[in-house]
Amino acid sequence: MSDSTAIRRGEPLLRLAAVHKRFGTHEVLSGIDLRVSAGEVVAIIGPSGSGKSTLLRCINQLEPPTEGRVLLGGVAVEAGQELSRAELTQLRRSVGMVFQSFNLFPHLTVLRNVSLAQERVIGRSRKEADAVSMQLLSRVGLADKAQQYPGRCSGGQQQRIAIARALALDPKLMLFDEPTSALDPELGLEVLAVMRELAENGMTMIVVTHEMHFAESVSDRVIVMADGRIIEEGPSAEVMRNPKTERAKRFLQAVNDR
Amino acid sequence: MTELFGFWWEWLPTLLSGLQLSLAVTAVALLFGIPLGLILALGVQSKRAVWHVLSLFIIETGRGAPALILLQFTYFGLPSAGIALSSFVSASLALAWCTGAYTSEIIRAGLDAVPHGQKEAAAAIGLTDWDALYFVILPLALRVSVPPLFGFAILMLQASSLCFAIALPELVSQAYVIGSNTFQYMQILLLAGLLYAVICIPATIAVAALEARLGRHTD
Amino acid sequence: MMLEILQSIASGIPLSIALTIVAFVSGAVLGMPLCGMRASNAQPVRVLSGALVLTLRSIPPIVWLFFIFFGLGADFIQISPFEAAALGLGLITAANMAEIYRGALTAIHPGQWEAAAALNLPPLYRFVDVIGPQLFRIALPSGATYAIGLLKDTAIASTIGVPEIAFEAYHTSQRTFHSLDVYAVAGLFYILISLSLAALTRWADVKLRARVAR
Repeated sequence: MSDSTAIRRGEPLLRLAAVHKRFGTHEVLSGIDLRVSAGEVVAIIGPSGSGKSTLLRCINQLEPPTEGRVLLGGVAVEAGQELSRAELTQLRRSVGMVFQSFNLFPHLTVLRNVSLAQERVIGRSRKEADAVSMQLLSRVGLADKAQQYPGRCSGGQQQRIAIARALALDPKLMLFDEPTSALDPELGLEVLAVMRELAENGMTMIVVTHEMHFAESVSDRVIVMADGRIIEEGPSAEVMRNPKTERAKRFLQAVNDR
Repeated sequence: MTELFGFWWEWLPTLLSGLQLSLAVTAVALLFGIPLGLILALGVQSKRAVWHVLSLFIIETGRGAPALILLQFTYFGLPSAGIALSSFVSASLALAWCTGAYTSEIIRAGLDAVPHGQKEAAAAIGLTDWDALYFVILPLALRVSVPPLFGFAILMLQASSLCFAIALPELVSQAYVIGSNTFQYMQILLLAGLLYAVICIPATIAVAALEARLGRHTD
Repeated sequence: MMLEILQSIASGIPLSIALTIVAFVSGAVLGMPLCGMRASNAQPVRVLSGALVLTLRSIPPIVWLFFIFFGLGADFIQISPFEAAALGLGLITAANMAEIYRGALTAIHPGQWEAAAALNLPPLYRFVDVIGPQLFRIALPSGATYAIGLLKDTAIASTIGVPEIAFEAYHTSQRTFHSLDVYAVAGLFYILISLSLAALTRWADVKLRARVAR
């Protein structure tokens, strides 16, 4: 597998410029500008309905932006541009995504969940794909579940498998959409531990989360969104402790009061 | 009573040969009709206007017109357009048309039942639309569609009785011929009805059990 | 020529509709006690009615019509083709409607039965005032779908000589040799009647919903 565009830590990896997303007349994202460097961990917080999940989906084109431009590892996608199959595959390869509701394929074994894309998207042999998958499953501590079906695993285990699946194509960037929101607090911890390990090993990550402790302790930078805009952004400790805008203050106050 | 059984015993082989033909024409109709149903279900969702309209046309005519009319259309109608088919081929064609139209709805319901998150996850890991369909969406959709498809297969065996109208010597045609030769319509039709019941009643019960079992395990 | 074909097939429309209505109404009425028996506390009644429903649904309509018309008609009773078709399709409809009612019954929230009982309504009124109207509304869409299917099943009556659409189509095709057009037109007639029936149901459904919403 060749990766000619190897990116070193600290180099720009992702840039969003004036990204808008409208569903009909409803504007979910109103001009998002964002830069993420390789190796950076960015947490996105904010009230529900503020457009956090849509923002993630615009990055890997699950929701194509209505306006603006997404630059990822030197490849630019303009809104309205029809991507070829190859371009889209290239994009999805370099971005892994983890969903709130895991979305594992219930009819495939855990191993097959992780192997499928390796075979179909990058043409690894079954044997090679399974070997890589076993490594990844070991990394998230679930090698023993390889032959089980996802339905037999706990929520925390399912989410860790989903992380392994997302890592299978060696992505440059990992997107996490509220990865622990559907989990009991204890099960959430095991997922957060895996994410922490990823961050420590230099993975570039954008994490939409309600876990304030995670946002503060693991991420380098926190972004606060409200009403489809970024209202505040800065180093984690600073934003979390001394938010500048009134809106961000209100949100953090409400979270802390709970 | 012994007289009735004697009569039945005499004609059972003839009816069984008719039943065999009923089963054969049903099997052929399902074999071609269900894949057609899948194609139509996908065709209706196609963004290409031609596919969409064509699929819709085949579905609406196949569901809207009585199966009997479809049979007569293919058997009596097509020859006047220069296409003469044997009664078995026209029966298979008409019933496959009917099967495709009805099963497209069953399959579409199965496709719609696949959670959006599964389609998103398949796209996010970079699968092409076809791969997503083949490896993820179809297997999940078919889990939902299989019990009603079996149910439809039972209806199709019953519908094959309409081939009487196009002179296909299936079960009902055989019974009718025997009835008109012996004037024992009631006795022979009773036996024909029993043969259908012997297949359809257990099959119906089995499908209901399958439905109940799969219904329990929906996750 | 086309006009003649249209006219002669159209002459079958009234009987197709009449047969649909007679079979549906009698089936919809007969289906009620049958559904009641299916829900009975007495096991023999339950088993017997269940077997009856299964049998009616498992034997093809054409066999029932032949059985009634050629079997019963030849040996026991004087019966016209229309009466035989109405009887056969009516019985099959009763079995299917019983199943539709049963499905609708399970869709009614158990709280409704409890509430009706808690109000001390006599059983008859529990049904007439509380359960019946809800049952009707829930059963309406499936009932209408069934009626449209039944309309298509009436084509089977042509095989015992009821001069409805399919019967007229057959004879027109024999007379004119324009079989392709004839059967296309016949199919179109069925589709048009089905569409009107569907539109009528949607209208009724909207009306019923509006009355509840008010």
